[in-house]
Amino acid sequence: MSNGGQFDVLWPLAKRAVNATGAAPAIPDLSGKVVAELWDLIFRGDEMYAILREHLQQRYPGIRFVDHTHFGNTHGNQDREIVAGLADKLRSLGCDAVISGIGA
Amino acid sequence: MLRASAAAEKAGIPSVTIIGSSFMRQAALVSKGLGLTLPVAEYPGAPMVDSDAELRRKVEAHLLPAVITGLTQPRIAETTIHQPPADPLPGSVVFSGTLPEVEEYFHHQLWSDGLPIIPPTQEAVAAFLAFTARDRNDLLGTLPQEGREATILSIAINGVMAGCRPEYMPVLIAIVEVIADPQFRIEDAGSTPAWEPLVIISGPIIKTLDINHGAGVMRIGRQANSSIGRFLRLYMRNICGYRIAPGDGDKGSIGYTFNVALAEDEEWSRDIGWPTFGEDLGFAADDNVVTIQSVVCISPPTYSSGTTAAGHAQQFVDAIYGAFSYWAYSGLKRGYWHSVLVIGPSIAKVIAKEWSKDQLRDFLVQQATMPASTMKHYATKTGGLALDFEGLVKEGLLQPDYIASSDPDRLVRMIVAAKHIGIVVAGDPGRNQSRGYMANHSQGTRTSKRIELPKDWSQRLAALQHPKS
Repeated sequence: MSNGGQFDVLWPLAKRAVNATGAAPAIPDLSGKVVAELWDLIFRGDEMYAILREHLQQRYPGIRFVDHTHFGNTHGNQDREIVAGLADKLRSLGCDAVISGIGA
Repeated sequence: MLRASAAAEKAGIPSVTIIGSSFMRQAALVSKGLGLTLPVAEYPGAPMVDSDAELRRKVEAHLLPAVITGLTQPRIAETTIHQPPADPLPGSVVFSGTLPEVEEYFHHQLWSDGLPIIPPTQEAVAAFLAFTARDRNDLLGTLPQEGREATILSIAINGVMAGCRPEYMPVLIAIVEVIADPQFRIEDAGSTPAWEPLVIISGPIIKTLDINHGAGVMRIGRQANSSIGRFLRLYMRNICGYRIAPGDGDKGSIGYTFNVALAEDEEWSRDIGWPTFGEDLGFAADDNVVTIQSVVCISPPTYSSGTTAAGHAQQFVDAIYGAFSYWAYSGLKRGYWHSVLVIGPSIAKVIAKEWSKDQLRDFLVQQATMPASTMKHYATKTGGLALDFEGLVKEGLLQPDYIASSDPDRLVRMIVAAKHIGIVVAGDPGRNQSRGYMANHSQGTRTSKRIELPKDWSQRLAALQHPKS
């Protein structure tokens, strides 16, 4: 305990049990690619996605979008199930990239 | 959002996540806990208060370039994989100093809650570990947001720091078992409504540990109630990483202080013929149990009078559920939210002469209503959510009576089901006051665990040598 008024104290945190992994490779050119829009149905994401879509389509010919209705609410009642099945869903819909929002 | 992005990235599909500017630091912390450095696109400010023109300008000027960069430019995998800095070893001595020096060091490291802590020395921690048969390295789970291991040792250390007594250790273990249960959704504890967990203790251990269930039951002041409540908030800071600024993980917009632990006046409850809160949850009368649920809203102190059950219950509807009406939509959109009624013993006695607890619950379910249009209005103002009663009924989350009429101003029930109402008899038996505690929908879902006592519990208690007054 106290040693001559000194306290030797233990680290109060605990070991991280996270394996660091790398992010997926980037796609240098989004032309002709399929982009998934994941949404939590709040914070005006519908308006943001509409504006993003408008500009990305001008810049990248052939880019296509799969809207949030194909995936469900990522912050709703089924969020865990949606995240667990997301990789398969993205593959089945031929998605090349993901935009996920809105955290605000 | 970030969890979904991480799932995509781990499947080899690049993502970019749209984050409000005040959430950027939390996003970095969550990413780290997910083992990834996730590209984010920052939306400056708060979208819910921007004009349409301002929103367009921000999307074009800020989000669009960040989305393009996030998806098309070389990413962390192509340069270097993020490796967090090495942590000290669990149980190692990290600092030596006088009491003021220890306080200052822990404060500087963000390891305290702003209040003085009891220094977690080897000896103090050992005293806590003596009150469990479990090994100090036993793992109860890995907790978001930082992905740290919830071990027996980490519980003992934070229990010491919070000012608990060693004999509270079995309670503290049960608390961490609750928050490690996926049902509880501890990963949502940093959300902006800033809910606080409420620990409810049931069983004979209430008496053993001198846990207050009488006057001032929810006030700071009794060591067991206060320090056990403080322990949980401290554990959420240190092991989960929920720290307000200058920390990163807690995005509570305003928040309030931690709840002290609540206990029931079980003897009174039995005397009036009601099952205890623990028995309501399916436990035996002699089971010691920890139950935790989130609390995002507390009702006013609610005084009721008279000799009829309905008279008191109507006051609960008006004052307690009236206070909950603003936030009730958030539970309806998920099909449930829990409330706890802390009913003053003298009031419970009056109600119990006429009604069972279930009869009281049924009354509240039927009488606590509000206009559907008002509920939809509140939902829209929070985050732009369009509350879709028809869709929720179709999903099976709400009963058909929510759409029995097409009148937008029809009255709809605030409480989805009677089983979501918890009833605890506690408080001052000499006064006619009750109070209600509202959970933050599915976040911090009501979850219970038995408190496991070591076989030689009685001997260990008898061996304690607390100084007497």
